[in-house]
Amino acid sequence: MALKAADPRPAKPGAASIPKPPKPEDQELARKLDEQAATEGDLAERELRVANLRAELSAFERRYLHFLGSRYAELDECKAQLAEQFARQHPENERAQQAAREARARADETASAAGEQSTQEPRAFEATPEMKRLYRDVAKRIHPDLTSDRDDRAKRQRLMAEANQAYEQGDEAQLVKILNEYECSPESVKGEGAGAELVRVIRRLSQARGRLAEIEAELQQLLRSDLYQLHERVRDAEKDGRDVLREMSAKVDEQIAQARGRLESPDADSR
Amino acid sequence: MIPVATQALVMRSAALVARGLRDLSRESNWLVKKVFAGRAGQVAVSPAGQVCALSPLVRQGSESIALYDVELGVPLLALAVPGDSSVAAPGKPAAFAWSPTGQHLVAAWGGWLPELHAFDLHAKKFLGAFGDYANFPSHLAWSDEENYFAAASSGAGSASVRLWAVSRRGSGEMLFAAEPLSELTLEACRAWPEWRPEQRSDSREDGAADGSDADGADFADSAEPAGFRRSAFSPDEGSLACVVEIEGEWADDSLAILEIPSLRKQNVFHAQGHITDLAWTYDSRQIIFCSAGQASRLTADTMEPEPLPFGAELCACHPHLPICLCFSSWLKNSAKGRLFLVDLNRLKIFDEYAAEGVVDLRWSLDGSKAYAVTSDGLAYLYEPPLL
Repeated sequence: MALKAADPRPAKPGAASIPKPPKPEDQELARKLDEQAATEGDLAERELRVANLRAELSAFERRYLHFLGSRYAELDECKAQLAEQFARQHPENERAQQAAREARARADETASAAGEQSTQEPRAFEATPEMKRLYRDVAKRIHPDLTSDRDDRAKRQRLMAEANQAYEQGDEAQLVKILNEYECSPESVKGEGAGAELVRVIRRLSQARGRLAEIEAELQQLLRSDLYQLHERVRDAEKDGRDVLREMSAKVDEQIAQARGRLESPDADSR
Repeated sequence: MIPVATQALVMRSAALVARGLRDLSRESNWLVKKVFAGRAGQVAVSPAGQVCALSPLVRQGSESIALYDVELGVPLLALAVPGDSSVAAPGKPAAFAWSPTGQHLVAAWGGWLPELHAFDLHAKKFLGAFGDYANFPSHLAWSDEENYFAAASSGAGSASVRLWAVSRRGSGEMLFAAEPLSELTLEACRAWPEWRPEQRSDSREDGAADGSDADGADFADSAEPAGFRRSAFSPDEGSLACVVEIEGEWADDSLAILEIPSLRKQNVFHAQGHITDLAWTYDSRQIIFCSAGQASRLTADTMEPEPLPFGAELCACHPHLPICLCFSSWLKNSAKGRLFLVDLNRLKIFDEYAAEGVVDLRWSLDGSKAYAVTSDGLAYLYEPPLL
């Protein structure tokens, strides 16, 4: 390899100075900041995906319980009453007594799981593009895993939980408020010094990657859940113009009517 | 770590959601599930929906005993007896009996030493062996309250019915003594007067008293018991009904009602054809039995038989309702089989479902559902909204 000879002439006074090469820590910091920006974007996207799924399933659960919860509770109540009626008629049948006790426990359990039925039909979750943009901004700006400061992290965790709730409820104004609250806070001011900043960025990256793994686990849990399977079945049927929740409700209503009939005339049918 | 909110979302309504998903999956009160692949030589389903199957290990060309869950459709564990091989060449006999709660299982298998083997499936533990035998057990049965266990065997010679008292010990502890509480030997059974021709014609199912059966064939000769097969405890644990096999390829079976715990004879009933299954009604007053493809019921006090208006080869009575689950491998004008329920008060059939090759039936302990399993690994779940 040929070596280029150095210019032996002295530098002229007033001539433009040669720019200093960037320090290695500055170069590394720049690279890490790029990496952090990319990870922040990825994290925000995934947070949005899991928040969407959680909100969709939560809304679906409310709809499901609105239609089916109270009906199943009523059906189980009828079944418990039928079992108790049979047990009263056959006091010598110990198994019937046991079955009645179990049916009563099941009815109480179902009533407790079904909760109180709201009078209004809950709406399905649907986020507007503006909501999604806002949520992404919030996640990028205040995600708790993007800070290495303990106090700042605690504050971000609180705000992120509020943001998730606001997103689920479709509360756009609240999302803007949360973002503004953080932007104006002293924690949003970055520290100085390349070395210290580099350490902070590396830690944030590590936290962000950890959170990405957690989001994946959370997504998998939601996707594997019965709630998701049922949600998908109902959604597929809706595409074919069927309202499965109403169909299921009608079926349970029939069963309730049948049970009530048997309660009123117990000798009509032994089943 | 998965956030609490997500975990709560998945869990809080899990039971109701699972119920909806299940209701959505079926068109009737029956649900069909694939439990295992291949063909099993012996299958028994528990009241909790677990299946014990002697199933072939495809690659090794051998058999082993595995437990499956009807809901999950995956093997739960392989039954192993310390010191014995857990695999054996195909074709060895096997007999299984689940306890009424599904916690315990007693198994006999030609691949193990000739003893009965007790397992605690909750503790996932082999409890021990008891009741060594010379004749392989033809049938094993638990009483409903889990206080007694019976093992019947056929094949002449030392065929017998043996009864054990089940000791109430803690989980994971042996429940059986090595020696039975009582035993009815074939020799003792042969000494009963019921096998004499005049006695048989008096208590015959078809009521014929002229020394010939329904086909006009003569049964003037004495019958000779050859062994014992299926047995069933009455729910009140007062009696054990046991099928007595009579010598001769075409000989009809008899049904002996034995007193618990002495195994002394209470009554004998001569059936027509081979008895393929029997079950007591919940009130311990009647026995539903299937012989020669026909379902009948027998009143235990009077030994009065009544043919039921349907055919069946397997039957299982509901634990506390006058309902019986039946399987018949053929329908009139059709070679197809069916599962169905019978209201025993009105003799009305309901909830029929096409099914083939069913080998075992079982109600859940609370009677809210029933299981039927086939040798091919299919399980039919009966889950009515109201029962």
